[in-house]
Amino acid sequence: MIIAEIKHLEEVKQMLEGYGKVLNVGCGGCVAVCLAGGQKEVDTLNTQLTASLRTDGEATQIDGFTVERQCEVPFLAELDEMVEQYDALLSMACGAGIQFLAERYPHKPVFPGVNSVFVGVNKDVGWYEQRCKCCGECVLATTAGICPVTMCAKSLFNGPCGGPQDGHCEVDKDTPCAWIQICERLTAQGRLDNILEVHGPREWEGQTQSSLVLEQYKHRYAKDEGE
Amino acid sequence: MGNLRNAPYKIHVSDEALTEETDSMPKDAEIPVDRDKIKAMLKRKKGRMKMCLAACAGCTLCAESCFLFMGNEQDPGYMPAYKVLNSLGVLYRKGGKVSRAQLEEMRELVFKRCALCGRCYCPFGIDLPNMLSFARSILRSQGIYGMYPHSVGSPEAEALGEEDNVRPPSAE
Repeated sequence: MIIAEIKHLEEVKQMLEGYGKVLNVGCGGCVAVCLAGGQKEVDTLNTQLTASLRTDGEATQIDGFTVERQCEVPFLAELDEMVEQYDALLSMACGAGIQFLAERYPHKPVFPGVNSVFVGVNKDVGWYEQRCKCCGECVLATTAGICPVTMCAKSLFNGPCGGPQDGHCEVDKDTPCAWIQICERLTAQGRLDNILEVHGPREWEGQTQSSLVLEQYKHRYAKDEGE
Repeated sequence: MGNLRNAPYKIHVSDEALTEETDSMPKDAEIPVDRDKIKAMLKRKKGRMKMCLAACAGCTLCAESCFLFMGNEQDPGYMPAYKVLNSLGVLYRKGGKVSRAQLEEMRELVFKRCALCGRCYCPFGIDLPNMLSFARSILRSQGIYGMYPHSVGSPEAEALGEEDNVRPPSAE
């Protein structure tokens, strides 16, 4: 899921300076699971903001409303009637959701309430680790389910660099070397030959990919893409 | 809407959900339900939602389109129509006059038993995801929303106790 963290209160306050009525829009998707932008976090931030602004002598009114997912039009539509009542919107969704919200209401200033950090997993409460860089060229099939792009500090494709010491990365001594882990797991599975073939340089321009149309839906959008 | 209880189909609308509020109303101190707000929300989409609710023939064809239904041994409680009728259906039938306990029961249906993936299919064209989303919005307006096992204050976290509270299922 997409992992995000709530912005510092002072930063949010600065963004909202001068706006009389603000709607804080939460998202019930990924950011709710990582406890950054769900309804509970919206309520908490609103309480903190209101109290802090009141202390500063500001009379800003901050209301909250959480939609199921800010990255889908039908859910955003819930906001249509209420948005007009506000001077600005604060979004607690990931960067994609924030932009989608801003796109739907282009005449309203939209501000981010969270920082989107990465695509990761939930290791423990409040402990998330990056596992995917969305590079667009997945090699997990041959690397025993361990991503060298994400887990190797140098994103190497053909084995470890010369730096690992005692199985750990030279960049961070507490981090296990991804390639040693890959080798160990492949050996245990009896398929070490998976990585014997040299992997050529990857197409790094894939990093800039910003949209994906599933094969079965390409015909639907073919006309738009051709124009 | 009138066919909720009497329709000859297998989708069960619980009696508890339809019982007029009486002694079952919780008596301990709790946040009161803002019924005016619920009524206003229900009214906003009344035409479309009541039409959809009335159009449900109970064919159960939506069931197999729900991966949670299929993944839970085809438990009827996961059937999309069941979830809609026992949440939004009850809200409309009772005109928003529901207790907090009843809303809490709906939390399980619309937040826990539904991922809102939008894949549920109705041959009559009933927009089931939209209805479940609407039910969620109404519950959210009353401070009832999905809790994750590791969320502070979630029933699961409280049941685990303070020490185990910091361990999500994925780490078990």
